[in-house]
Amino acid sequence: MDLLEFAKGPALQVAAYILVAGSIWRFVGIMLLKEKPDYSEPRKSAGILAALKVIYTRSFSAAPFKRATMYPKMMAYVMHIGLFAVVFLFVPHIMFFEGFLGFEWPGLPNSVIFFLAVAAVVSGIALLVRRLTNPVLRLISNFDDYFSWLVTILPFVTGLMIPVRMGVRYETLLAIHILSVALLMIWLPFGKLGHTFLVFITRGTTGMVFERKGAKT
Amino acid sequence: MTTVDGRHTIDREAERLAYKPPEIRHDKQGDMGPKERIDAAMYNFVKNFNTQTASYLDGCLHCGMCADACHFHVRTDDPRYTPIWKIELFKRTYKRQVGPFAFFYRLLGLKRKVTLQDLEEWQHLIYDSCTVCGRCSLVCPMGIDIAGLVSMARHGMFKAGLVPHELHEVARTSAETGSPLGISPEKFDERVEWMADEHDVDIPMDVDQADVLAVMSSIEINKYPQSIAATAKILNAAGESWTFRTDGFEATNFGLLSGNPEWQKASTMKIIDAAIKIGAKTVVLPECGHAYMALRWQGANMYGKPLPFKVLHISEYMADALNSGKIKVKKVDKSVTYHDPCQVSRRGGATQAARDVIRHLGVDFREMEYGGDYNWCCGGGGGVVTIKRADPLRHRAFKLKMDQVEKTEADELLSSCANCRQSFDDSQQHFNWDYTMGSLMEMVAENLEGGKS
Amino acid sequence: MKNRPTVGEILQAKGVSRRGFLKYCATTASILALPPSMIPRIAAAIENTRRPSVIWLSFQECTGCTESLTRSAAPTVEGLIFDAISLDYHHTLQAAAGEQAEAARHAAMEENDGGYLVLVDGSIPLGNPGFSTIAGISNVEMLKETVAGAAAVVAIGSCAAFGGIPGADPNPTGAVSVMDLVKDKPVINVPGCPPIPMVMTAVLTHFLTFGTIPDLDKHGRPMTFFGTTIHDRCYRRPFYEQGKFAKTFDDEGAKAGWCLFKLGCKGPTTYNACATTKWNSGTSFPIEAGHPCLGCSEPNFWDRGGFYEPLSTGHFGSGEKLAGAAVAGVALGVAAAAAGRRRQAKFTGEG
Repeated sequence: MDLLEFAKGPALQVAAYILVAGSIWRFVGIMLLKEKPDYSEPRKSAGILAALKVIYTRSFSAAPFKRATMYPKMMAYVMHIGLFAVVFLFVPHIMFFEGFLGFEWPGLPNSVIFFLAVAAVVSGIALLVRRLTNPVLRLISNFDDYFSWLVTILPFVTGLMIPVRMGVRYETLLAIHILSVALLMIWLPFGKLGHTFLVFITRGTTGMVFERKGAKT
Repeated sequence: MTTVDGRHTIDREAERLAYKPPEIRHDKQGDMGPKERIDAAMYNFVKNFNTQTASYLDGCLHCGMCADACHFHVRTDDPRYTPIWKIELFKRTYKRQVGPFAFFYRLLGLKRKVTLQDLEEWQHLIYDSCTVCGRCSLVCPMGIDIAGLVSMARHGMFKAGLVPHELHEVARTSAETGSPLGISPEKFDERVEWMADEHDVDIPMDVDQADVLAVMSSIEINKYPQSIAATAKILNAAGESWTFRTDGFEATNFGLLSGNPEWQKASTMKIIDAAIKIGAKTVVLPECGHAYMALRWQGANMYGKPLPFKVLHISEYMADALNSGKIKVKKVDKSVTYHDPCQVSRRGGATQAARDVIRHLGVDFREMEYGGDYNWCCGGGGGVVTIKRADPLRHRAFKLKMDQVEKTEADELLSSCANCRQSFDDSQQHFNWDYTMGSLMEMVAENLEGGKS
Repeated sequence: MKNRPTVGEILQAKGVSRRGFLKYCATTASILALPPSMIPRIAAAIENTRRPSVIWLSFQECTGCTESLTRSAAPTVEGLIFDAISLDYHHTLQAAAGEQAEAARHAAMEENDGGYLVLVDGSIPLGNPGFSTIAGISNVEMLKETVAGAAAVVAIGSCAAFGGIPGADPNPTGAVSVMDLVKDKPVINVPGCPPIPMVMTAVLTHFLTFGTIPDLDKHGRPMTFFGTTIHDRCYRRPFYEQGKFAKTFDDEGAKAGWCLFKLGCKGPTTYNACATTKWNSGTSFPIEAGHPCLGCSEPNFWDRGGFYEPLSTGHFGSGEKLAGAAVAGVALGVAAAAAGRRRQAKFTGEG
C-alpha cells in the first residue's frame, strides 16, 4: 500500500470515524449534563425561532462593536468563506463528496477557488499574526488556539501545493493533502474547532435565554 | 529613559501620570487553610456546570472580541480585563472536572489544577473589574453569556473566602441585619414616616392585604429617601391597594453580588414571603438594577417554583400605568438623556419601559449614542462601587460614560437605578462633573397630574 | 560479434533513408531530453554499433507486449531498429523450437557473456514452478540462469515490471516481478499494458549510445518517459481546470471531448508518455479515443479500485461502520456526562 492508498483508505476512514464519534461524544457529553429549570415568568415566549434568530444575527457585529471588531471579523469571514468554497465548491471535492453521497452540485472554476484559497491562507496568517501580537490574544491563547490554526491552514497549504507541484509527485502531494484533511477531521471534535457545531448550541441557548427575558440578543 | 521596577510601572494612560497601584491586596475571609479554600472554590465552581454553562465554557474561541466591549479593558488596555479571561479559572475547572474530555485533561495534565495563588490573583478580575454589565455577552460571536458566568464564578470565590473585604462586609451586614447598610425595620419605618410628613403623602405600611407590595433599596432609604415619597405618590396616584412591609422592604441583594447563593435566597425569600402574606398580585421593585435581576429573573429559581405574583421594575410599572392612563403626567420642557441600568435594560429586557415613560413626559429625549441595550455601564454595578480599591479603575471606566452623556448635550441626566446613581454621584465628585444623575421615578412623581397625592 | 553488420548497415539495407534515420535520432534525442548536440552522437552510436545480442524471455504474459512492438501498420524506424538488434532468442518470434531454441539461448549467452541484454515480458510464478515452464525449465530458473551473464535487464510491460495481471489479487500463481528476483543487475522497467514501442526502442537506443542505463524513477522506470503524468500532458487538461467533465460515455461532455476524470481517468496518478508519443505511429491514445486512462503503467494498477471510479473517491468504509462510530460517540458522550455528573456529585455531595 502506498501513501496515497493509505491516505484515501485507512487514514480517511479512521479520521471519519473519529470525527463522527468525537463530535457526538462532545455534543452528548454537554447535552446530558444537568439542566437547570427556569421558573421565572417569561416576558416573551422563546422557542427555536429565537435560537435561530441569534444563530443568524451573531454572524454580524452589532453597530457599537463594528469598528472595534471589523478587522478580525473581516479576516474570519474571508477565512470561513474560503474554507466553505474550497471544501464544498471545488469540483474535485464535489466529486469526492459525490463518491459517497451519490449526488453532486455545481462548483466554481478552479481559478476562483484558487483565489479564495489563497485569500483564506492570507487571512489565516493575518489572524495568527494578530494572535501573536495582540496583548489580549497573547494572554488568552493556549495550545488549542495555535494547533487548531495549524490543522486548519495545513489542508489549504497542501491543497495549494498540488497544482504548484514544485517537483514533488502528484500522488505524494495529494496523499499529504488528504492526510492533512484527516488530521483536521481528527482534531475537529476535540479542540476549539468544535465551534463548527458548538456555535449552534451556544448562540441558540443565548437566543432562547435572552429572548425569554425580552433582552437584547 | 528611566526604568521603574516592574510591579510599579508608570501608568501612562492615566488622567494624571501615576504609578499603577500595586495589586497586592488579596482579601481573605475566614481562617480556612489553602486546601480548604481551593476545595470550596472547586465545589462551588463545579456546582454551576450544567448544559448551558458547559456549552458556553466549551464554546469560547479565544477571539478576544469581548475585550473591546468591556469598559475596563477599553479604558486601560490591560489584557487581564478581557471578560473571558476573568473566568479563566472557572473555565479551566470545567474542562478539567466536568467537560466531555475532562478525563483526558486530567490524565494528560492539560489543564492545571487551580491553585490558591490563582484564586487570589483572580479576585481582582472577578470582582473589582467586572460590573456584570453584560456588554461582552452581546459582542461574543459565539453568543456566550460571559457576564452570567462571572456571577457563577463568584460563588466559588465567596465560599473560598476570597471576596474583597468591603463587598463581603456589605453582604454580611445585609445577611445579618436584612439591609446592606444596616437599616433595621424600625429605621425604615421611621424614614417612611418622615418622608410621609415631609412630602405630605400617605404611605401605607405593614398593611395586611394589598395588591401591590412595594420594596425599596437601602441606598434610596439612606441616601435618596425622597424616592420613598416618589414611589408612594405614584402608587397612590394610580389608585393601587399597596403597602410597604417592614418584614420585606429590602430590594438589594448582596448575596447575589458577592456570590453567596444562600444569602441571595434569604434576601429574596423575605420579599417573596411578605408578598405572599399580603396576597400581593404584583411586587414593584425600586429603582435598582440588580434587584430586578434578583427577583424578576432569579427569584422564582430561588423559590423553586413560579412566583405567585408579577414582578415589575418601577419603570415598567410607570410605563404600564401611563400607557393605560392610570396615571397622567404634565409635559416637562427639558431635554433629557437616559442612562440604562444594565440589569434592567440590557440584561433585564425592560429597555422600552423607561422610554415609554420618557415619551409620556414629553421631554426632548436625547438617546445616547449606542444607548439603550449597548449602553456603557456606570462602572459601579455588580458590587464594584462598594470596593474601595477599585475606585481608580471605576473612575477611569466612567470617562466613557461621561463622553456618552456629554455628547447628548441634554439638560438632565436620568436613570432608574439607585446603585448607578450612587456611582454617578461618586464619579461626579471625583471629576467635578457638571451632570448630576436624576431619577426617572422622581421626575414622574414631581409631574403627576391630578389623582391623590 | 565481429562478423555482424552494424545497425546502420542493416537500416541502409532495409531502405531507411539517411534523412529518415536522422529524424529518428532527433526524435529520440528530444524524447530522451538530450540536447540537440547529442543527435550526431546517437546517430554515430546506432550506425556503428554492432548488433547487440538480446535475449527475450517470455513468462506469464499475453504476448501483448511483443504485439505492441511488432504489429505496427507500416514499418517504422522503431520497428526496424528493433529488427536490427540481434534477437537471439524470442520463443514467440523465432522459428526454432525446443532444444534447438534453448541451444540458441545458451549459445548467445556464452558468446556475449557479460554484454548481452535480457528483455523479459510476463511475471514469474513462485507458487509452483510448474505453473509456467519453457522446455521443462521453470520461469524463475530460466530467468536466474539467463540474467547471470547479462549486462542489464529490461522488464517489458507491467507484468514483468510489477507483476501485472497475474500478480493481481488474489495472485493465484504467486507471481512476482523481475525486480523482485533480480537484485545484482541493473533492471530497467518499461511498464505499460502494453508499453509504448517508442519507449522500448528509446531505452535500447540509450543503452547503445551511452552504454549505460537511463535515469530511473523510484519504480525503476526511465525518467524521460515516466517523469510526468498523463494528466500533465493531456490535451483535455484545460477542461479539467474549467471544471468541465464528461459524466457518462455518451453525454454532451463526452461528445464535446471534456475531461474524463469523473469517468475514472487515472491520468493524474499515472506516469507514462502516452499523451505525448501516443500510439499507432502517433495516431491517438486512450483518452483521445474517449476512454479514461486505466493507469496501466503504475504498480498494482489492476487492484487500485474500479477503473471507472473517480480518483477523488475516498474510502470511508461502510455506512454501518460510520453508524457504529456514531453509536460509540453517543456511548462516550453518555459516559462523559455521567462521569462529569459523578464528579460534580463528588465535589458537591449532591446527586
